Amino acid sequence: MATALMNHPEIETDDLHRLVDPARGIVNSRVFNDPEIYQRELTQIFMKTWTYVGHEAQIPNVGDYVTAFIGEDSVIVSRGRGGDINVLLNSCRHRGLAVCSSDRGNASLFRCPYHGWTYGRDGALLGVPKMQEAYHNELDKASHGLVRVPRVEIYRGFIFANWDYGAVSLEDYLGRDMLWYLDIPMVGALGDLVPIGPVMKFRMKTNWKLASENFAGDDYHVLSTHGAAFRIGFLPDYDHLADYTANFDHGHGMGDIPKPGRAIENDRGMAQMFGPDAAAYVEAFNARVREHLSERQADIHGIGEGNIFPNLSWIKFGCFHAFGLLQWLPKGPNEVEVWQTTFFDSEAPQSVKDYARSQMSQENAAAGIFGQDDGENFERISEVLRGAVCGKQDLHYAMGLGHEDEMKVEGLPGRLGPHYTEANHRNFYRYWLQLMTGREG
Amino acid sequence: MGEYLLEIRPGVEAFLFHEALLLDDLRFDEWLELFTDEARYWMPIAETLDYDQSRVSAEGEWALVEETKAFMAKRLERMKSGMAFSEQPRSRTRHYVSNVLVTAGEGGTVIARSNILVFQGRRDRKGEFFAGYRLDSLVRDDSSWLITERRVFLDQRVLPRALSVFL
Repeated sequence: MATALMNHPEIETDDLHRLVDPARGIVNSRVFNDPEIYQRELTQIFMKTWTYVGHEAQIPNVGDYVTAFIGEDSVIVSRGRGGDINVLLNSCRHRGLAVCSSDRGNASLFRCPYHGWTYGRDGALLGVPKMQEAYHNELDKASHGLVRVPRVEIYRGFIFANWDYGAVSLEDYLGRDMLWYLDIPMVGALGDLVPIGPVMKFRMKTNWKLASENFAGDDYHVLSTHGAAFRIGFLPDYDHLADYTANFDHGHGMGDIPKPGRAIENDRGMAQMFGPDAAAYVEAFNARVREHLSERQADIHGIGEGNIFPNLSWIKFGCFHAFGLLQWLPKGPNEVEVWQTTFFDSEAPQSVKDYARSQMSQENAAAGIFGQDDGENFERISEVLRGAVCGKQDLHYAMGLGHEDEMKVEGLPGRLGPHYTEANHRNFYRYWLQLMTGREG
Repeated sequence: MGEYLLEIRPGVEAFLFHEALLLDDLRFDEWLELFTDEARYWMPIAETLDYDQSRVSAEGEWALVEETKAFMAKRLERMKSGMAFSEQPRSRTRHYVSNVLVTAGEGGTVIARSNILVFQGRRDRKGEFFAGYRLDSLVRDDSSWLITERRVFLDQRVLPRALSVFL
């Protein structure tokens, strides 16, 4: 099974090194439109890295399930009898149909509509109609369960799966340095950081990497792409909000990290709009971070946005801002299905919940004034790259090249950079290249 | 059938057609005046479940759109900035509004239920459709109806694109 899936169309490793040269700050536009490169990504990227597939709070009870995608493969994430979580390929072993076609639910069985093969929550093949008449009782049910994604690990409720038996653990993959930042909203929450509604889904006609690299630390686009949002006073002056970028091993990156002390100052100011409940909330959130994490993390308080390689982006500004997860699901070289889940603190005051929830819809979502402009720009790139010349040009990824090690701020982990740099992009493509070619550097 | 307010239906229908015309003719300032100051615009997310397809975001869950007139005005201000790239140049839209039924609402309001099909053409692309129904809460103003709440329920689980126009 696994070996058959590993075959990929022929594009030579040397070609990839010519197309992507992080040391010189070059990414050729072919990597955004070439069908062969895309096919190779499905195996070399998406079957080798950890993919977010759902949150424990979405499947609290035995039999609860959600469906998700790893690359272009549909999977079922189901809670078994013992409370264990199974991640199963959503494809009948007989003719390959999806055995589950809903977003979520509770089921004791998954039944293929075509011939009625029936599987348990753990993927075991339980029922085969006409076993005697059709199969002479000779079908080995034990070896025809739903294919199981072998590695499933959870970080603070966020469930990830990985096809690669030999992969490093989820925590090592995410890395202590990036988790230092991501822990802040997870630990600061007075209750649980839980999904606050359905997964929002919409399409963009673009390549998944353009969205991923943007969230990995493209602070530079904000002034132009989102200029209108600042002009109408939706947010304070951008350069007031953020100061640093950081990148990490395994291609991860983040931007809009505020200078220590700045985010809490901003939240204290915002609390004036909501009243004493909100003012108390800011202090309680911050105190939790100070107590359970560290002084330095409490000083950071609000963390910006980032991308967990390959295609899981997140956004979180301060404690009044919901935690948004955006999955850029690949649907061909020029198509992405965005799955966006919004999380918030279950114990925040109601006024704060109401603000955070509606603010996310207005800001970074399908109809959000940030999200829609980003989507438009990504689509415009992909439209142009269809051209024979445009589609094979070297694009400029050299901002800040040669200045990578100049930013040091005491106590902040990760490879820190200034607000405006493309070091995070180069870090993203360096790891991408390593996975695609199977060799370092 | 008994619950439908047939006498006022023609007037409500004409109001909705007029409102659609203002949107399609890009007369957004006039369009916004058809909403009361505290008006709410809400569009929940649909979910695909095994048997029941009526499940959408509950009140208090996040939604595709959740805002009041104040933010709708901000959207218009944004579009005029020349930097709102999702609508620069402006989309062409065609709002088809049909199957209008009117029932009594709470506190002197009426509820207009209508089906919508909205075509959006962006620049030289082929364009996309949004389909669903609306529940509009309307109050009688001196000369016209005004919308106090618009709820839009889309039939699409996965939106064909980001939402940069009003439905």
